[in-house]
Amino acid sequence: MIIRLERVKLQTRKSEELIDITASVVEVVKKSGVRNGLVNVLNSHTSAGLLVTEGIPCLEEDILTHFARLFPEGEDYHHRRYLDYDGRLGFNADAHLKSVIGGVSCCFPIENGLLVKGSRQTIYFVEYDGPLERTYLVQVLGE
Amino acid sequence: MIDFHTHPVLIQELARKYPDYERSTREVFYIGNNLQPLEIFFLQMDVAGIERAVLLPVDCRRARKLAVSSNEQVAELCRRSTRFIGFASVDPMRRGAERELREAVNGLGLRGLKLDPALQDFAPGDRKAYGVYEAAAELGIPVLMHTGLSWAPHTPLQRCHPLLVEEPVRRFPKLNFVLAHFGWPWVWDAVAMALKYPNVFLDTSCLYYDSPAEFFQFVFSRQIPTTLIERSLRNQIVFGSNYPRVEIKNMVHALKSLNLTSGCLEKIFRTNAERLLQARVPEKKTRSRKQAS
Repeated sequence: MIIRLERVKLQTRKSEELIDITASVVEVVKKSGVRNGLVNVLNSHTSAGLLVTEGIPCLEEDILTHFARLFPEGEDYHHRRYLDYDGRLGFNADAHLKSVIGGVSCCFPIENGLLVKGSRQTIYFVEYDGPLERTYLVQVLGE
Repeated sequence: MIDFHTHPVLIQELARKYPDYERSTREVFYIGNNLQPLEIFFLQMDVAGIERAVLLPVDCRRARKLAVSSNEQVAELCRRSTRFIGFASVDPMRRGAERELREAVNGLGLRGLKLDPALQDFAPGDRKAYGVYEAAAELGIPVLMHTGLSWAPHTPLQRCHPLLVEEPVRRFPKLNFVLAHFGWPWVWDAVAMALKYPNVFLDTSCLYYDSPAEFFQFVFSRQIPTTLIERSLRNQIVFGSNYPRVEIKNMVHALKSLNLTSGCLEKIFRTNAERLLQARVPEKKTRSRKQAS
């Protein structure tokens, strides 16, 4: 049984954006040496997300536009207060809620050393509160 | 646009180079956010539409054993990018502070003085501090003085009242003082200082509850009337974000959400800061008129 965990850093450049990380995940699978098993991808933040959808710009725009409609910046959020454990204020509740609704992880099977996914499926890291340096985890398990 | 109030406390490159840097960030400045590459600082400025940012250190070695960024660290960042405007900090209670300030300005190229009476544990009106004010006046640099509530631990509120700065402001009429955080919660006291003394400026880096937009709406339209800014103080306010306690973009958005004219916003976002950074002395005509009344 092989279990391999990679921490991958990326730098977002906008307040909100979708970044295609499919190639990076495929690469970690290849390097792991696992022939048959699973790959889990997990975003390690709470104001960013990770989701799988068709990789086209119109959908990228729709996701951000409609998440913003669901959780407008100007809404009344309890999170808007001083966070004494953090030394700063929390006013990015909209980003946290988008992360909750959009999810932070995905899982794909590995067969014969290759990640198995639908031909149109793209794995996205989603920034809701950038720009920031971010980290996501790729864990490969199998034989 | 210029951000007159930022703290370079979360920069990975400095944390790798200086062993005490992160400990000071966590224990003295007190913030829990992850360290970030320097490029993130520029990207945060970019998304906010900010071209240049003033970097503020605090020399609180006597009071807190560690400085919150040093003059050398700030100068190092300024050498990396012309988008940074570095301020110095010296401890007014320490012997040699004047010489240290002159060296920071003439040697390191820093362009202002940051003082924090609460974090540095001194009274702004203490005569021992006058040497530093005198040196700053001679150098023609502004003094950005912390006033208002500080989130840093062990910083008594009573050290942060804007009126504590009145005596130095009166004694050094050629020295420009910027009262940080609009003096919140003593906003009217800070406003009174700026109304009375032409060498007093206020920065907008106040955010203590709610969102930046909500807080600004309350402070700048209900706590004081927006017209007070538009009509009376438009030449004495500079934009400051207090990044990284708050992202710059949110503070820019909050200020723009107020019912201020574009001319007034231009002064707050740019012209007043440029004047402070270039001026050797406050505008003579305005000062003599106001001081006579």
